[in-house]
Amino acid sequence: MSDEAKGQDTQTPSEGDDTRRAFLKVGVGALGAGLAAVVVAPALRYSLWPLAEGVEVTSGGDEFVVVGKRDQFGAVPVKVDIFADRVDAWNRTKNVKIGSAWVVELDGQLHAFSSVCPHLGCAVDYEAESDKFVCPCHDSAFGLDGAHEAGPSPRPLDQLEFEEQQDGKLLAIRFERFKQGIEDKVKV
Amino acid sequence: MGVGKKLIGWLDERTGLVALIKGGLDEDVPGGARVRYVFGSVLTYLFLQQVVLGILLATYYSPSATDAWASTAFIQDRVAGGWFLRGLHHHGSSVMVVVVVLHLLQVVLAGAYRKPREVNWWTGLFMGGLVLAFALTGYLLPWDQKGYWATQVATGIMGTVPLGEPMQHTLQGGAQYGNLTITRFYALHVFVLPVTLTVLLGAHLYLFRRHGVTPPASLSDEELARKTQPFWPNQLFIDVAAMAVTGAVLVWMTYRTHGAELFAPADPASNFVARPEWYFLFLFQLLKYFEGPLSIIATVIIPGGVATFLFALPFIDRSESRAAKKRGPVLAGVGLIMVGVVVLTALAVVADANNEHYQEGLVAAHEDAERTRELAAEGVPPEGGTAVWQNDPQYAAIAVFKETCATCHEIDGRGAEEAPSLTHYNDRAWLRGAVREPRSLTYFGGTKGHEEMEAYSVEDLPDEQLDAVIEFLLELREQGKDEPDPSAYDAKLAKQGAALWEDELDCSGCHEIEKGADGVGTPVFWGRGTRAWIARVIRNSSQADLYGENAEMPAFEGKLSDEEIAALADYVYAQGLAD
Ligand code: FES
Repeated sequence: MSDEAKGQDTQTPSEGDDTRRAFLKVGVGALGAGLAAVVVAPALRYSLWPLAEGVEVTSGGDEFVVVGKRDQFGAVPVKVDIFADRVDAWNRTKNVKIGSAWVVELDGQLHAFSSVCPHLGCAVDYEAESDKFVCPCHDSAFGLDGAHEAGPSPRPLDQLEFEEQQDGKLLAIRFERFKQGIEDKVKV
Repeated sequence: MGVGKKLIGWLDERTGLVALIKGGLDEDVPGGARVRYVFGSVLTYLFLQQVVLGILLATYYSPSATDAWASTAFIQDRVAGGWFLRGLHHHGSSVMVVVVVLHLLQVVLAGAYRKPREVNWWTGLFMGGLVLAFALTGYLLPWDQKGYWATQVATGIMGTVPLGEPMQHTLQGGAQYGNLTITRFYALHVFVLPVTLTVLLGAHLYLFRRHGVTPPASLSDEELARKTQPFWPNQLFIDVAAMAVTGAVLVWMTYRTHGAELFAPADPASNFVARPEWYFLFLFQLLKYFEGPLSIIATVIIPGGVATFLFALPFIDRSESRAAKKRGPVLAGVGLIMVGVVVLTALAVVADANNEHYQEGLVAAHEDAERTRELAAEGVPPEGGTAVWQNDPQYAAIAVFKETCATCHEIDGRGAEEAPSLTHYNDRAWLRGAVREPRSLTYFGGTKGHEEMEAYSVEDLPDEQLDAVIEFLLELREQGKDEPDPSAYDAKLAKQGAALWEDELDCSGCHEIEKGADGVGTPVFWGRGTRAWIARVIRNSSQADLYGENAEMPAFEGKLSDEEIAALADYVYAQGLAD
């Protein structure tokens, strides 16, 4: 800053100057905020877009998917992978694994459980020695009927819907995901 | 005056550079330079190195669900020095966490969080939190099994806290993991967090310079003044030496582990034994103790309480003096937290060491990792990640099967029933069924022109006898192999079966069992069911010792390559091994 400029600055401002400066200050704030809003407002919608009504970022696998022959399932739980065509944002991939399920027959009754642990989402395993489902993460344990027996899981294993197709010869499962860490089974 | 000096003079006249550098280095350290002051400098060095390494990694890494794993495997296994730089970056985060904790402990011991340095204490705590956020976001980016599953648990926790779900879905870009999860984590990891950390670091350094080091409380003002040393070069030398030690440790760790681990590509259908990085194990362990609705104690209340305690430390500490003796309760509080963290971590490690299930899972995970990375060397298909398995001949066989064989045969319910089912093909149960109900769709019921074979009922052939015959058939199969496996059948039963075959059964009317014999439009049982036999059937089943004139199956010789036929035969053969 040159000396002249400094000199002018130190002059006692008149009242007119005061109002003008007040205006300038507000102006700087208002213009600045306006400029920021140009980006901030759309940025919020942009970032929160996956939460918006009717938006589905990932889709596919909502139908029943054949996982095997009905008679291959029995008293020992069998893990089946669920394959489906899946859209993940901009990619569409055919026939990819979207999840897995444990299928077991108990007293003539078939059960299909999602392998996703209701606690925090690790994959539940079958432990032959104890004949239970166990989660390798925080040691939740479940009976073969899915009942919660030990560990931090807030609810039993999640039953998946299934269908016995072709006169009961094939088993088809609809794979869904449920909210974790809560007592109720709620679809996400 | 040398040219260099002249140049500096010229530049200084226009920028004031010399004064700036002087200002930066000219700093008194009251009480003298000390080793205990090095932690901040070491962290700054580590951060700058992480930035450089991160930029280098970003020149090969591709953030998308299809590319992330493949590009990381490429860096790790193909690019010259890739494993080393990635390893430094990975271990660098671990070392940073350790040094952050040391820094924090030193500050607490010295009482450097007290007035007037409260704001600096807070910026420091924030930066510590950011370091953890860096670790969490970076962990997912390789999109391998470990990162995928461990991060699922972390975001899962987020989803369970009050108002957490919208936060969780915003962070992961939707209800499920996918492309948007990676791009968001990537943007956070490489832009948002580094920029925030840099700003905070600037503030932290500025405030540090404003208030100076916190010298030992035991020294009087006079002593401090007398022992004062300049930052440059006394303290800086110690700082740089500490950085060198840290760097050496880092290089040693990286060499010893051949860089960072990279597991198989993320597979949402697998059961991977998920574990967080070691410095989060205490939180992981804590989760085990609180059931259902009480989980919030482990996820929010305890960690939140600890964070609040640390932030409020300048206000909690009301003691007159900075001397450690006078601040017993505060030091005990921080000490208790540290003990808790150490104990929980130890418990988690011990629990895993004694958990066979976990250990087995880990072995399997390492095998998968090795296999997939081998397969990735051929190039990962554009579907990415788990599609790398398609490079495996067996998976190629599955694809060929679907296209070529499934129009007539089925495996596990996928395929048609116009020819025998190949689900568990040739295992004991399958063979038993073929004898008991050859006309069912599982066997020859759907195959044109195969009406001849008659069922053997239990009355004519009791179960024990049938079992013996099956063992005999398995023995015949083994004989056809180059290296017969005597453990594949029960020799004693097989002998009984052979006798039954000779003396009682009608099977020999149509089926020969001699090597080199011809059938009558029926397969000879010597060597039936080996890989080679299956491959021959695929090539051309109308040979005299196979199905002869009864052959219905098209000959695939010439239509499929030798490798494809071999892979298919392996695949079909493997169906019978499950029992
Ligand atoms: S995720 Fe299964 S017990 Fe925690």
